[in-house]
Amino acid sequence: MLLKSVNYVRPESVSEALGILSSNEGAAPLAGGQSLTNVLKHRVASVDLLVDISALSELRTITRMTDGSIEVGACATYDEIDHSPDVRAGHDILAREASHIEDQQIRNRGTIGGNCCLSDPTNNLPPLLVALDATMNIRAAAGSREVAAEDFFKGYFLTALEPGELLVSITIPPIPVGAGAGYVSLSVAADSKTIVRAAARVRVNGVIEEARVVLARVASVPIRHYAMEEALRGVAPTTESVRAAAELIGSDVEPIADGHGSSEYRREMARVVARRAVLAAIEEGGRK
Amino acid sequence: MTEQGTTHVIEVTINGQLYSRTVEARQLLVHFLRDTLDLTGTHIGCDTGSCGACSIILNGKLVKSCMMLAPQADGAVIETVEGLAQNGELNPLQESFSRNHGLQCGYCTPGMLMAGTYLLRENSNPTEEEVRRGIKGNICRCTGYVNIVQSIMDVAGGHGPEQAEGMVGEEQR
Amino acid sequence: MQGEGSFIDDLGIHGQGYAWFVRSPYAHARIVSVDVSAAMALQGVYAVLTGDEAKEMCLVPFVQIAPGDGSRIEEWPLAVDKVRYQGDAVAVVLADSRDTARDAAELVEVEYEPLTVVVDGVEAAEPTASVLHEKAETNVAWHGVFDYGDVDFALENADHVVKIDRLHFHRFSSTPLECNGAVVDWDKGSGVVDVKSNIQMPLFAAMVIGPALGVPINKFSFSSRDIGGAFGNKIAFYPQIAALALLSKKAGRPAKWTEYRTEHMLSSTHGNERTFLDIEVPVMADGTILGVKARAVDDVGAYLHYEPLGAVIWSQVTAGCYKFKNVQIDFTSVVTNKCPVAPNRGYSRMQHLWMLERVIDIVAHELDFDPVELRKTNFVQPEDYPYLTPNGCVYDSGNLPLALDMALELADVDAWRRRQKELGTGTGKRIGIGIGSTLDSGTNNFGQARIMNPDLPFSGNGEAAFAKLDLYGEVNINLGTTPQGQSHETTSAQVAADILNMSPDDVTVTIGFDQAHNSFVGFSGTYASQFAVTGLGAVMGAVAKLRDEILEVGAFALQAPKDDLELRNGACVVKDDPSRSIPFIGIANLIYTNNAVLPRELSAKIDLNCRYVYVPPFEVPDVERKMGNLTLTYAIQIHVCVVEIDEETGVVEILSYAAIDDCGKRINPQVVEGQVHGAAGLGIAAALYESFEYDEDGQLQEPSFYEYHAGTAMDIPDIRTGNIESPSPFTPNGAKGMGEGGGAALHTICNAIQDALGKDGAVVFDSHNTWERVYELLQSSQGSEPRGVRVISREVGPA
Repeated sequence: MLLKSVNYVRPESVSEALGILSSNEGAAPLAGGQSLTNVLKHRVASVDLLVDISALSELRTITRMTDGSIEVGACATYDEIDHSPDVRAGHDILAREASHIEDQQIRNRGTIGGNCCLSDPTNNLPPLLVALDATMNIRAAAGSREVAAEDFFKGYFLTALEPGELLVSITIPPIPVGAGAGYVSLSVAADSKTIVRAAARVRVNGVIEEARVVLARVASVPIRHYAMEEALRGVAPTTESVRAAAELIGSDVEPIADGHGSSEYRREMARVVARRAVLAAIEEGGRK
Repeated sequence: MTEQGTTHVIEVTINGQLYSRTVEARQLLVHFLRDTLDLTGTHIGCDTGSCGACSIILNGKLVKSCMMLAPQADGAVIETVEGLAQNGELNPLQESFSRNHGLQCGYCTPGMLMAGTYLLRENSNPTEEEVRRGIKGNICRCTGYVNIVQSIMDVAGGHGPEQAEGMVGEEQR
Repeated sequence: MQGEGSFIDDLGIHGQGYAWFVRSPYAHARIVSVDVSAAMALQGVYAVLTGDEAKEMCLVPFVQIAPGDGSRIEEWPLAVDKVRYQGDAVAVVLADSRDTARDAAELVEVEYEPLTVVVDGVEAAEPTASVLHEKAETNVAWHGVFDYGDVDFALENADHVVKIDRLHFHRFSSTPLECNGAVVDWDKGSGVVDVKSNIQMPLFAAMVIGPALGVPINKFSFSSRDIGGAFGNKIAFYPQIAALALLSKKAGRPAKWTEYRTEHMLSSTHGNERTFLDIEVPVMADGTILGVKARAVDDVGAYLHYEPLGAVIWSQVTAGCYKFKNVQIDFTSVVTNKCPVAPNRGYSRMQHLWMLERVIDIVAHELDFDPVELRKTNFVQPEDYPYLTPNGCVYDSGNLPLALDMALELADVDAWRRRQKELGTGTGKRIGIGIGSTLDSGTNNFGQARIMNPDLPFSGNGEAAFAKLDLYGEVNINLGTTPQGQSHETTSAQVAADILNMSPDDVTVTIGFDQAHNSFVGFSGTYASQFAVTGLGAVMGAVAKLRDEILEVGAFALQAPKDDLELRNGACVVKDDPSRSIPFIGIANLIYTNNAVLPRELSAKIDLNCRYVYVPPFEVPDVERKMGNLTLTYAIQIHVCVVEIDEETGVVEILSYAAIDDCGKRINPQVVEGQVHGAAGLGIAAALYESFEYDEDGQLQEPSFYEYHAGTAMDIPDIRTGNIESPSPFTPNGAKGMGEGGGAALHTICNAIQDALGKDGAVVFDSHNTWERVYELLQSSQGSEPRGVRVISREVGPA
């Protein structure tokens, strides 16, 4: 409940933040704090210096580009994303899912960057970002680089970020013409912890032309199920064919059991949520 | 605050009053309110940011004060339950809780009042579903939520717009 | 409401230190060594207390109420030699700040030698299981057989016998939002141990720890102010209070302790976890249920706090709402390497009532009876009251069939049955409709403790109240109860105002409990659904006495016969000539500051300070036959709910929820309804979301609200309520205690899920049903695995 003694600094710019992070080994960025504060309360990780980036306006902007992609600042809160007309305009699913994260208090502080950088398999947004083929924009004191979302999540609480680097924003391409996105979460309770979830982006042109199917909480990171994606390509966008493709989710996934669900149940439910997410994506694409 | 340190001087405005204190960086904002400033109306019910008993409004946003560190509140404008009543008179939301038996043990009540205050500012005539979403982050063990939902809806529905306006404080988002 | 409550963490004493407990990470281990040197070296640390020191400072271990082997279970303020559950306290630190105490606790070095862990209650009872308490030489804390009527004869002669292998009532608790806390000051000068805390039965705590600490009851000073919910979970944290008392004594300063949530989940209180085995139910062809026979194993955790009272408390409702006469329960209380249990809302009756409600529904399904009709056939009927149960309890009043009909209508069951038919099969969704009938027994006869242990000198019940006119004529009431949101102050003021014929706003009821008021007896506190009877009974008695004294003084002052007088709005007046009156301030003046005016015989007998103890009409139970009048009142609740289940996932959504309650005369309807909502909310959450589970190493899987999902406003549906008032003939005001609720929501939800599973579906055997459990039940309904239920029907020869 009570934290260990810790140092705190609130830099006034991203460059300053990067300078501090690169020159202090035990430093960690503090964004919304809706996960990190718990970690510190329970003393399960050690941080010597908290670098508070939550108020940096550079990291909180949401911009819609002319090509229809959006760039979301890493410190944009879930609530800001929910209420952003720019997000709603072309990426309604992101706003919708952000609006269902836990509760109002958490949505007012929690950030999309924090949700990604924690890399907890139960985090809400990573699987959606992978399904939408997002790009993670990373900056270091030395320069910047980009990493595809599906390459960003490396393992439990492990991302592609190197020491001294910050995730500064996430770019999400426009949802392709004829495509739609879907997201289905089987949760312990309403707007609560996930048991398994799936996110999908599917483009239909008579038949399914392209499918990205991402499963979460079946592994340490969100994973694309390539076998199911393969099986979907070229088939009719019907419940039967999607169900058949989902059957390919099998012993290749080994979800870790815990108090909220066994491994076997999560695996079986992964098929259900994957199918439902794909069907939702097909339906959304059809509506547009 | 641009200097590193395990302690910092912070300035916070709470319920219209300015406070300046030295805090340890590790101090949770809720402990700052309760232990340093003796504003014990904001409560602690858990240690994982799950229960909402510590809810306050900070810079116009409903937040859990146990999920923030005291130095993060430097320069913030904060509203707590102690600021709701004016001159000892309960405000319309508080009156509604009293009338509708929206509290039993009273422990979750400050957090519920702040959540209700925020919800009604964002949406002056919420549906039952919207109210339940709005207080999802506030756990109550006594009431089964029925009368809490009723208390919040009774303010919106049962009163005219001028009353709802009267509840919106001077500080705006 | 305005943030000006006085909850325990809001209080403190000048010069206090802050306490932090060091707790075992192991579920079962020998304590090899405890090294506090690094902790003591930290600046700001006042003292550290270890288990060995605590034992040294005590005269004896805590009072135990179990007989036989159970009586040899020892508990000290801190763990000595062994730890027996994850969270068992081995030391406690006192420091100048919370942070320092927390940091110092981390520096206490404890070496453990892990031992074999036992987490299954049924296995723990086996002679081969690893034993927790060496001196007891067994994990069985108590065993007894309750046998009423002749269930074996019924089983041999009934038309059908329904056999159920196993039913399991799970471990959970009400987790009040405010955790436990205390500020304890052992003042060496006066020998007084001052305890400010939110413990809900303070004198029970004093009686258990007093002998251990060598402190007589009158040297304790317990007080409480606002309590943030309790539900029974704040009855049994007396070990912590004892440890804090010793810590305060050692350090020479007050010790303030505020429990944090994870600490509460690990080491405060869980509810009784009960497994029923080999259940047999004799049933006649017309649906008459003749009785029930079962084995019950009650897993009570690592130490006995208030246990093994749970072994007998359930027998207040031996046959539940039903009139069968033949009941045999073979009951075992067993210790395991888990958090100790203590009375959790519905204590011990809820577990038994749940089993009975499962039995009714299973019988209905197996033998093709309508669950509504089967209940009505077997319910105690309205004309049967007062009704004598098989073990000598008396159900005071009620109308179960009417309550059931009202609940069905309120939940719109007819419409939902039609919808259920429409949905049919293969749509991916199923609707289930469930009934849960329950009793909320209130005002215990503590003599039932003797059924568990004949040597216990307990019987009866009671509550005290103090009513006085203060120096300026103010009306003041002190209670012996420790309210946690049940509006005791409001209802007491109402009752007092009615007797004194004045406005309740002018009646002051002192908030909270204070031993110094001397308005308590041994049973004082707020628990077991009894306030409306015992608390208000005491208030009524005290205020009636006060009224009489006021009239006596008024008769003298107004020179009029007492019968000509009445009380009106804070004054004593002559009925037919109200211009002749004397206000309460005048009455008070004559007694307190002006008594030479009065005749000696009046000033000698009147003091306007009226203490009254309400004593319910109990006798000592028959210990041999395990029979007696164990509870004074029986409130009734019948709940009905409609659920929709997603066949592919097992997700359960509640579509409709209705609750009918009958608690006799309703003193304050809004308060009663609030209790109905609250109990239903906790029960729904327990049925679907809340469970304490331990892995094989005795590690609690739900140690905080992060894992333990307390039901939120999005999980708990709207609860429609209705009521009946069947006044109790046994209480001063016709009211019955209510508040615990009898766990009706658990019965209801399980039965609704059962209904959705269909006639030949799997049997809902556990009180906790996550989506995964429901999914498994759906899957096994299609399979051919053994269902855990068998029906044996007697061949009926030609008539």
